[in-house]
Amino acid sequence: MELFQRASNPWGQEILTHIDWSLFWWALGVGVVFAAIHLFLRRRLRASEPAVVAGDHGGTVVRHTGAARMFHWVMALSMLVLLVTGFLPQVGVQFPWLTLHWVFGFLLIASILFHIVHATFFQSLRNIWISFGDLREWLQEVRHSMGRGPGPARKPGKYPVDHKLYHHAVTLSGFVAMITGVLMMFRIDSPIWPRDPYRFSDSTWGVIYVLHGLGGVVLVTLTFAHIYFAILPEKRWITWSMIHGKIPRKNYLAYHDPERWPSEEGPKEEAPAAAAQPAKAQGG
Amino acid sequence: MARAKLTGTDYTPPDLVAKVTGRARYAEDFRADGMVFMKLLLSPMPHAHVRRIDKSRALAMDGVLAVVTAEDLPESDPLNEPLLASEALYEGQPIAAVVAVDEATAADAVERLQVDLEPLPFALDPIESIKPGGSNARTEGNTIVRKSTDDGVQTVVERIEWPNQLFRDAGEDVLPLGEHQDEWTIGGDVEAALAASELVIDETAYHQSLTHHPLEPRSAMAYWQNGKCTLHCSTQSCQRTHGVAAAAIGIDPADLTLISEFCGGGFGSKIVGTVNMALPAVLSKQVGRPVMHRVSRYEENYFGRARPGMYIRTRIGFSKEGKVKALDIFAIQDNGPYGRQGDLGSVGGVASLAYQPDSMRFRAVSILTNTPPRAPQRAPGGAPISAMLEPIMDRAAKQLGLDRIAIRKLNAPREGAKFGGDLSRNVTTAYTHEAMDQLAALVDWADADRRGGTRSGSKAIGTGFALAPYTAGASGFDGLMVIRPDGKLEIHSGVGNLGTHSFSDTSRVACDVLGLPWEEVEIVWGDTSKHLPWTTVSAGSMTTHSMSRAAHAAATDLMQKLQEIAARDLGGSPEQYEVDGGRVFRRGSASGGLTFAQAAKRAIELGGKYDGHELSENLHAATKVAAAAMAGQGLLGAAKDEYPRNGDVYTFVVGFAEVEVDLETGFLDIKRYAAVTDCGTVMNPRSLGAQLHGGGIQGFGLAASQKWVYDPRWGIPFAHRFYTARPPSILDVPLEMQWGAVDKPDPNNPVGSKGVGEPPLCAGAAALLCAIQNAVGEVDLRRLPIMTDNLLTAIEGLDPEVPVLTTHT
Amino acid sequence: MAIIHDMMPAFELYQPSDLDGAVQLLDRHGDDAWALAGGLDTMDWFKDRVKRPKVVVDLNGIPELKGVREGADGGLEIGALTSLTDVVSSPQVREKFPMLAEAAATVATPQIRNQGTLGGNLCQDTRCWYYRGGWPCYRAGGNICYADTSSSMNREHCIFGASRCVAVSPSDTATALLALDASMVIAGPRGERVVPAEEFFLGPGIDITRMTVLQPNEVLVAVRIPATFAGARTYFEKARDRQSWDFALASVASAFRMNGDTIAEARIALGAVAPTPLRAKKAEAALRGQRISSQVADAAGNAAVEGARPLRHNGYKVPLMRNLVRRAVRGGPLAGEGQDAAAGG
Repeated sequence: MELFQRASNPWGQEILTHIDWSLFWWALGVGVVFAAIHLFLRRRLRASEPAVVAGDHGGTVVRHTGAARMFHWVMALSMLVLLVTGFLPQVGVQFPWLTLHWVFGFLLIASILFHIVHATFFQSLRNIWISFGDLREWLQEVRHSMGRGPGPARKPGKYPVDHKLYHHAVTLSGFVAMITGVLMMFRIDSPIWPRDPYRFSDSTWGVIYVLHGLGGVVLVTLTFAHIYFAILPEKRWITWSMIHGKIPRKNYLAYHDPERWPSEEGPKEEAPAAAAQPAKAQGG
Repeated sequence: MARAKLTGTDYTPPDLVAKVTGRARYAEDFRADGMVFMKLLLSPMPHAHVRRIDKSRALAMDGVLAVVTAEDLPESDPLNEPLLASEALYEGQPIAAVVAVDEATAADAVERLQVDLEPLPFALDPIESIKPGGSNARTEGNTIVRKSTDDGVQTVVERIEWPNQLFRDAGEDVLPLGEHQDEWTIGGDVEAALAASELVIDETAYHQSLTHHPLEPRSAMAYWQNGKCTLHCSTQSCQRTHGVAAAAIGIDPADLTLISEFCGGGFGSKIVGTVNMALPAVLSKQVGRPVMHRVSRYEENYFGRARPGMYIRTRIGFSKEGKVKALDIFAIQDNGPYGRQGDLGSVGGVASLAYQPDSMRFRAVSILTNTPPRAPQRAPGGAPISAMLEPIMDRAAKQLGLDRIAIRKLNAPREGAKFGGDLSRNVTTAYTHEAMDQLAALVDWADADRRGGTRSGSKAIGTGFALAPYTAGASGFDGLMVIRPDGKLEIHSGVGNLGTHSFSDTSRVACDVLGLPWEEVEIVWGDTSKHLPWTTVSAGSMTTHSMSRAAHAAATDLMQKLQEIAARDLGGSPEQYEVDGGRVFRRGSASGGLTFAQAAKRAIELGGKYDGHELSENLHAATKVAAAAMAGQGLLGAAKDEYPRNGDVYTFVVGFAEVEVDLETGFLDIKRYAAVTDCGTVMNPRSLGAQLHGGGIQGFGLAASQKWVYDPRWGIPFAHRFYTARPPSILDVPLEMQWGAVDKPDPNNPVGSKGVGEPPLCAGAAALLCAIQNAVGEVDLRRLPIMTDNLLTAIEGLDPEVPVLTTHT
Repeated sequence: MAIIHDMMPAFELYQPSDLDGAVQLLDRHGDDAWALAGGLDTMDWFKDRVKRPKVVVDLNGIPELKGVREGADGGLEIGALTSLTDVVSSPQVREKFPMLAEAAATVATPQIRNQGTLGGNLCQDTRCWYYRGGWPCYRAGGNICYADTSSSMNREHCIFGASRCVAVSPSDTATALLALDASMVIAGPRGERVVPAEEFFLGPGIDITRMTVLQPNEVLVAVRIPATFAGARTYFEKARDRQSWDFALASVASAFRMNGDTIAEARIALGAVAPTPLRAKKAEAALRGQRISSQVADAAGNAAVEGARPLRHNGYKVPLMRNLVRRAVRGGPLAGEGQDAAAGG
């Protein structure tokens, strides 16, 4: 299997031009295989999950504020449009994709800029930060779910480690695709700036195109996996929270450590770090 | 001597039937036992150092016999074009050659060569190169200069640079008058003469580089036998190509047989062939088999030749009567990467001759570029300057209220006219007024002049009239012929057969001298093993004038020897004998005497000078070798042309073009073309007509359709096929074409003829440009060629797409 | 980039004698196959070693692809392998759709028209010299348009419809057929489909590597011209640098159905100014219900070039295209003095 497409430039020098478009199918395949394995192991994995505490834990806990939800869905829409417009024409489905692609690219960038500002100033970055302890707990969790040893002593905060890892993978591949995508705007006619295909040397452009493609295919796998989890029945309460913002209080208590993710509706004893945060941001 | 002269009549040249029936064998039609094929790897970069070429994958292929790069060949002077380059100086320059059992294998092998090239800065445009910080076409500089040193004259590469201030001061679209290499003057202070002129026109023009596009590419095939090489190639000249080819192969001329019986066009690109023809010979020696190199159209565009492009600034001052008082010309030549081209010299020379200015200054500089090697192309230098100045003459006539022919007559040279730096040269004959009058009558100029400039709907009608001179002959060459014992006259012609019929036209002179019917003649040509005399190169319109003189000299030598033999055998003195109808006989009694066959036999018996065992001392060494080989075969005539020549031989062509320019589409429709020449005595009317029309059509290409287009970032050209380069096709030729000739002999040639290869092109280009200008008025037509886009841009008053000082767009 | 030119690499040649065989062969070999008609576009690609199919399927031995037939509705159906010379000289074409004969007669040279086919003329690839030179541009699967940079040579390129690629559709007959509302009959492994000319040609916005909707396993069988514009007022003109052997710099084809002396329906197609032959819909709209006059012609011309975006070297195409559309409405070039400019055609 070829990873990259190459061409020889007008001077006969070999340059990179794209990723090999078969990588799209591979990326999708990796997603499918991952989902299949997960489906297969699902029963066992569920067995290791903490039981939802029965009894009087009614009510809900805010998980995602309106702004956060709006960001998520704008981003999700952009991402889907970008992947569809980016890859389908390359695998044989022809339609006028270019304008959609870059317009949604800019929408994605705008939404992410909003997210960065919002997350930095109005949310706890700590929620998404991965510590060594997180990783230790995650490994423990994985071993536990395989039936080897006890689970971690503590439940996760707002985001379990796998969510955090996912976030960072998306961040990395997304940034690669976005930065290269912005540079690629020099290659086309757009109102953004004058077309200047010779802004970089063709070997540099080759690297930019390959990085953009690689970012894209990684996002294909990640997006596929994301959607897969989102539609699993046992995860729907999380998916649902991205729509109306809240999770059942019982799930909050079952899956999260209120100390690590204090909420207004949770125990009153607040974690010291969270104390510094304005209350309104805590739902994020 | 009642016999009508052959000179001046139509006939069927001895090569014609083979040509029109497809039986003529050009270089690539030859086959030899065991013949294999060569293909070239061309440089993909406009300027590159060849670091390494890995041949292993190519050599590993079945059927590949050899792979050769510059490293495998003897080192050559870097200023000369090599067989294969180690530093490629233009995109498309050969850097490796592969020999294989067939072309398909050779091509596949070329693709398997692993090439490691280091790109170097390159220059496509002389103006860009000459600006501060501009790239050099060669690592050492951007111009070639000849310098006198203690070790004699040396040719070196240097950098020439004009300061930015110069460009700023000149202003946009005006060529600055910067540091130059050539300068000569006529008369006094040209600036003062300009200042004193009634009307001054100051214009900068761009003339494009142009590939020659001969229909036959420069293919070659070579093989070796007993240490001697036989080379089939395509060349304009024959005898003169022999030594050049031998030197390129690296052998003694005695070891080379060069065969070139037909040449499918050269236009200056194959004067003595080109270096590529030596490669099959070199590789044939290496692989021990005959090697054929079929050059493709694509390759022809690269290592075929091209006319140097030029930027020319002209400042021309007129008196109110229309006399050219002052002429100041400055030209920058796009020289290509190798030896300095001589076009510039002709720019100044032709201008000074054509307009006879009271005061003139000519300055020029030649800048190297990373574009295909240049060579003279039909009227080198003359074509651009005539094409530039003739429309300016029309504008001057208009502004001064003069008739367009009248202003030309006022300035045109006449017999003996002086020209060149310090007026050091003079022409022989110049029947310019006669030619103009004849053309004016032919085309009904008074009516055409009225028609010009009128409009009918979207059609703008234009008529143009142009005069163009160009050099047309030299002297001092040898004629060689023998009357065989069978009575036939065998003429050995070293002239190349580039399609003009000059090799046989000049031979007919011998018939006229000897009163011999054409059927009694056999011409031997196109094969250097067949004893060819010292001959002019077939270029620069030289052949007809030069070699008709030589043929006349040799035939006269024969006649004298016939008379001597007759006198010796039949009594009396040689003067009492005359020669006609294949006999030598006592004056007044056509019966009796000796037949040529008898005379030839007697010559062999007599030996000595009669059968070529003794030769005149003044013959060229090459002629002596050829004549010695023919000695004893009959009555030999061998003589050097020592007829006097009082000046430079120039031919004049006046052209008339009528066009319709569609003001809505910019389409140029050439409705009519006519040309009349003063080329001395007409040798071959049908062929002369073909020259006048063919040259005119080539001039249309220069003026209005043909060009190079380069991508400036990559240094790669696009117009490398006929349909992209757009030389005129037969369907672009007006249906109505006429020609005429003054047909007055030039007394400097016993035959009276002058060559007529070059100036038809100048007249065609200039007349067409004059007609376009006449049709559309004074719109911006400073960059050639004038095509749909720039015509429509000018008509619509849009901004030109590029500045005047831009090349290859 | 090919590093050697003018030397055709080897390929396997199939010469099917019927259409099914041709389609099967193309389908079997997929992207490795190349359908050969007159060969005038093909041989250039092969000789330059830029396109290197393993298999060539020669369509010339399929009789059903040749000839001009009456169509069901009184129009015409012309086999895709009909030579351009035969199109030019066909009495049926000349009678019903003389504009098509005029357009075909402007293609290249007599020799090329003898060899070239109608289908080949429609399906030929663009002549952008960067692309044809084998440069690795978008159209060749790369990631750049070399013809639209600040230094590109793009005199022959597009003023409409650019999408990364700025090449133009080179076909003269396509312009005429678009104006005549023709359809393309296409055979493929799943049978026949009929595609209107307007959808047959693809712009780079949709597929940057192809000029038409033809799939590698499909064959253009015939062109169907409906009777709609038979005997209509038509006009064709191709602007070029030379009178022969030159591609269009711009061309116009128009067909007007007249209602008395007003235009009931106008179809105007523009050639060589966009990556596909292009309907001048604004000009058409401007003409509907109008009486022909030089003012109406000027308005249509102006409407036709609205939104044109010239490149560095092709600004002249805007007035050129405008003037050609004016002529199409007038029915000819601006007539001489004393004549009614509108009565030219």
